[in-house]
Amino acid sequence: MAEAPRLTANWFDGRSARARPVEVWCDAATLHFGDHSAPLRGVTWPERQRHGQRQILLPGGGLLSFADAAAFDGWALASGRGDSVVVRWQQSWRLASLSLVLLVAGLAAAYRWGLPWAVDRAVDALPASAEHAISQQLLAGLDRDWLQPSRLDAAQQQAWRTRWTAVIARARANGGPEVPPYFEIHFRDGGKALGANAFALPGGDIVVTDELLKLLDDQPDAVLTVLAHELGHVQHRHGLRMLMHAGAVGIVASVIVGDFSSLLAAAPAVLASNAYSRDNEREADLYGRTLARAGGVDASRMAVFFERLAQKHAATVGSNPLAIAFSTHPADAERIAFFKQEAAAALKN
Amino acid sequence: MSDLNAAPDAASSPLPVAVPRVLEIRFTGSGSEYFRIWAVNLLLILVTLGLYLPFAKARRIRYFYANTLVDGQALSFHGDPWKMFRGFVLLVVLMGAYSIAGKVSAVAAVVAFLILCLVWPALWRASLQFRLGNTSWRGLRMRFEGPLKGAYLACVPSYVPALILVASARGLDPEAMKAAGGMTPALMLYSLASLCLFVFAPWSLTLFKRYQHNGYGIAGQRSRVKLSVATVYLLGLKTWGVAILPMFVAGVLAAVFFGVAHSLGDGGAAVGSMLVLVALSIGYLLMFVVVMPYGAARMQNLAWNGTRSEALSFRSTLKFRSLFGLTLKNWLLTLLTLSLYRPFAAVATAKLRLEAVTVTSQEDPADWVAAVQAGHADATGDIAGDFFGIDMGL
Repeated sequence: MAEAPRLTANWFDGRSARARPVEVWCDAATLHFGDHSAPLRGVTWPERQRHGQRQILLPGGGLLSFADAAAFDGWALASGRGDSVVVRWQQSWRLASLSLVLLVAGLAAAYRWGLPWAVDRAVDALPASAEHAISQQLLAGLDRDWLQPSRLDAAQQQAWRTRWTAVIARARANGGPEVPPYFEIHFRDGGKALGANAFALPGGDIVVTDELLKLLDDQPDAVLTVLAHELGHVQHRHGLRMLMHAGAVGIVASVIVGDFSSLLAAAPAVLASNAYSRDNEREADLYGRTLARAGGVDASRMAVFFERLAQKHAATVGSNPLAIAFSTHPADAERIAFFKQEAAAALKN
Repeated sequence: MSDLNAAPDAASSPLPVAVPRVLEIRFTGSGSEYFRIWAVNLLLILVTLGLYLPFAKARRIRYFYANTLVDGQALSFHGDPWKMFRGFVLLVVLMGAYSIAGKVSAVAAVVAFLILCLVWPALWRASLQFRLGNTSWRGLRMRFEGPLKGAYLACVPSYVPALILVASARGLDPEAMKAAGGMTPALMLYSLASLCLFVFAPWSLTLFKRYQHNGYGIAGQRSRVKLSVATVYLLGLKTWGVAILPMFVAGVLAAVFFGVAHSLGDGGAAVGSMLVLVALSIGYLLMFVVVMPYGAARMQNLAWNGTRSEALSFRSTLKFRSLFGLTLKNWLLTLLTLSLYRPFAAVATAKLRLEAVTVTSQEDPADWVAAVQAGHADATGDIAGDFFGIDMGL
């Protein structure tokens, strides 16, 4: 058998800081350095890199330091120490680029299929009581920071509630979609910040603002369709899904962008969540249209709602294609067409 | 062992080395090489659903250490990734429980916050012990010797106002506030605590830095830092002064856009409000690019220039201008390349910040021997740190 290849190293014994030049060589299961040796199994080998020093970490805290990295790599190879798979990938531009491509593809697949699946499982596993607790806390926070008590008197609120209960009852009688076990309508003053608005919290609390009711004072069918749309969010547990979805995307983004900046990490999370949110809106639109129709409500009146909202924001962002990527709802025209579709279908029936 | 040491020592150092001598710090890492390490690490993290994270971290630390040469000798990292894995799981469980508690109920959130406050200083110390204890130079392990009590004391100026803040926030009742014409005792306490948290920030930072820089050790060396609260407050004031600049730029831009939009009439109003938003975002970005490098550069210099040990003294000459230029470049390129520039940015920042420091030694470090492990007063912290491999820093 040929003589084992040898290389000079600086040996630090872990007790003294003085470097001791030694010759290093390997045999079957042992690393020899000078008059000493260590079992190969207890030794940590360095990974091959273009830059930096090579160090072999010895059991018990000592180390062998090699100043000439290229000589070390040649010696390690001759001593039968091949590169690990990870190192081979790291040292090759082609394989490193391939891993980036695989990373992007993997992230896209995880986002498209894995994440919705995981969110579905998590939502199924979370008891309704926990969801309700989240809802209560969110509503308390909104009441403190954004909302004022409604200026509608008790009779007006009761009138809306009666209309709404009647719609649900009619829809149930007509074999409409399944209605969630718990939901409640809260009337609030949205102030300048929220304006004409309605939203569903996870757990079944639906908030509708005075401004929205005022805007659609003469269009009760539009109000009831909006409420049916919000009930769709409750039925499909969209609020909870959004919370989990945004959280997961945020964690992944922060691993990639790292400690660099929370701001940069937040941007992709927000954009990704908005796309998810638009899918949810479409799902809630479908539910709202079906429920309203079964409840004897003219859902095509929603068109009036969008027109008036558009008038309110003098120049709306709805028709700007760039704005869609940044928007949480589908464009207005698309939704008006969707709600009018029902009217045409209803006429044919 | 001693007779083994004697012979080669005598042979390898025939001449006494001149003292004091400067131990230069060099960083030889390459962005393109770290880019490839980063890409493969990320893929492995994705494939293992995040479980590879501690192993990726160990590899990153080894790469940065192997490229950090102090007086021609690289640092080495001895951390066992499997131990780091345990610490990682502990932190994930802790943070997961914390964020879930915050969403489920307000009381659970407060309890989780208190528990986190209670264990955080111990975790901080354990992570310093783990990182330093697994770092060696010339075969000598470094140490972190800050006492557990010190970690808790350093947290007092931030903890006391934070606790009052949380407690008084529970007492904030919109109805009662209206009745009392806005100012209830709870609201006064809340505002006072917020103000204290803000005003005490430089004091807190001083205590954190003092705790860290008073605890480092290698061989017979133990670091000591001279860092007065007054100088950190002065730095805080200067940083505020620097922060005014981006605010001013954003304000001027917003005003100009607003004016232009108004002169354009109706259609311009929407465009105008978009532009005002853009101006405010630019101001916000400038805050990060100007204020953070300023604070970081000056604080690094302040802390390291005040640090010395028996034989070592440190000098840090990190220039704000260099760190500002680098941060601006890193930000722009990271944004433009959709974060592909991130590993290059990490290497460039490490190089700039490390090479700004020089160490002067009154002894020849080759003469050093590892400190005798004196009787451990509190081994529990060491065991916790070592068992869990907690490592929170870079």
